[in-house]
Amino acid sequence: MARAVEQLEAITEPAGTLNGETPPFERIVADHGPLISRIAMSYEADPALREDLTQQIFLAVWQALPSFRADASLKTFIARIAQNRAISFVARQVRLPPTAEMPELIESDDPDPEQSAIDASERRMLLEATRRLPLPQREVIILVLEGFSYAEIADMLDIAPNALALRLSRAKAALKKMLEQAA
Amino acid sequence: MIDFDLDRLGDVWRQRPDPAELEHLKRSADAVRRRARWAQLIDIVAALVVAAVVLLLVLSNPKADTLLVGGAAILMLLGTQVRSRRLRQEELRSLTGSTEQMLDQSISRTQATLKRSRLHLLGFAPAIALGFLFAYVVDDRAAGGLRQLTSVPMARIAMVVGVALFVTAMTVYLIGTIRTTRRELERLIALREAYRGEQDSNMPE
Repeated sequence: MARAVEQLEAITEPAGTLNGETPPFERIVADHGPLISRIAMSYEADPALREDLTQQIFLAVWQALPSFRADASLKTFIARIAQNRAISFVARQVRLPPTAEMPELIESDDPDPEQSAIDASERRMLLEATRRLPLPQREVIILVLEGFSYAEIADMLDIAPNALALRLSRAKAALKKMLEQAA
Repeated sequence: MIDFDLDRLGDVWRQRPDPAELEHLKRSADAVRRRARWAQLIDIVAALVVAAVVLLLVLSNPKADTLLVGGAAILMLLGTQVRSRRLRQEELRSLTGSTEQMLDQSISRTQATLKRSRLHLLGFAPAIALGFLFAYVVDDRAAGGLRQLTSVPMARIAMVVGVALFVTAMTVYLIGTIRTTRRELERLIALREAYRGEQDSNMPE
């Protein structure tokens, strides 16, 4: 049976993998797993539900990979799937997302533990503030923090650049206010 | 006072996860992929087994009625496969599209689920009653069996209690599903409105 699964693996592996367009799934997880994890974290605070959401995103990415075309970057493609899956996941939770604490994901062998602690605290505040933003604004802020260009974000969200600029300026103002209150 | 520079905050945001966390992510992704592959394999094998069994039955008894039933079973199997493939493709399209497109599709799907659940709630009790009526009226042997069974007081009580429990459980389950689906629909609509509100407020005056 295991052999059958291996054979199926060869058949069901994304077509692009065979001609070198799309890296293998393991590589995608290694490269973009942290992005998926951060997106899941910014939408779901409950650790058990977050684990569930992360797995759902991995599954969605795996299933969608054969439809990936190189007209956008793989990172954009994955971020779009992760955001959409996270939003539908949140919508399906028939309750408000709790604000339980996130695990720290800071390098344990950081040469400067004091700086590491400051970063961890800042990151926690940033994450908590991001989670409190309304979804349309949260989506934009997460993509900016993930380092996407404004053109990429406008394309992902299918909105005009000026609409993106306005939404982003509102999101930044709201985020700034929350961070200042938290500090 | 926090230094509000999005580039700097981005660096804080994108801090490298520790190796244990990364390893956990890899294991998790691998488990997900393995489960998905098994599900695909089981799906294919189950369809092949059903098709082979139907084919064997038809070949071992090539009469008009077995051909008809066998043909219908194969058609149903094909229909199920096509439908599940279409659903998967729809879901993928909604995941790779914009958020608003995804929300629109989710709303349509949830509305369909709500409609189906309401229909089941209205239809399942009459369907059970109709089933019993059918058994009594059409099939003499079954009616005989049922009459015999219901002539024993304890069996009659057990049957009535069993049916009542089943109907109650199904009603509770369906009402629960309807409530959950309705809440989910409200939430999806509110979300879509929030996105539309953002778009509208972006429009120049």
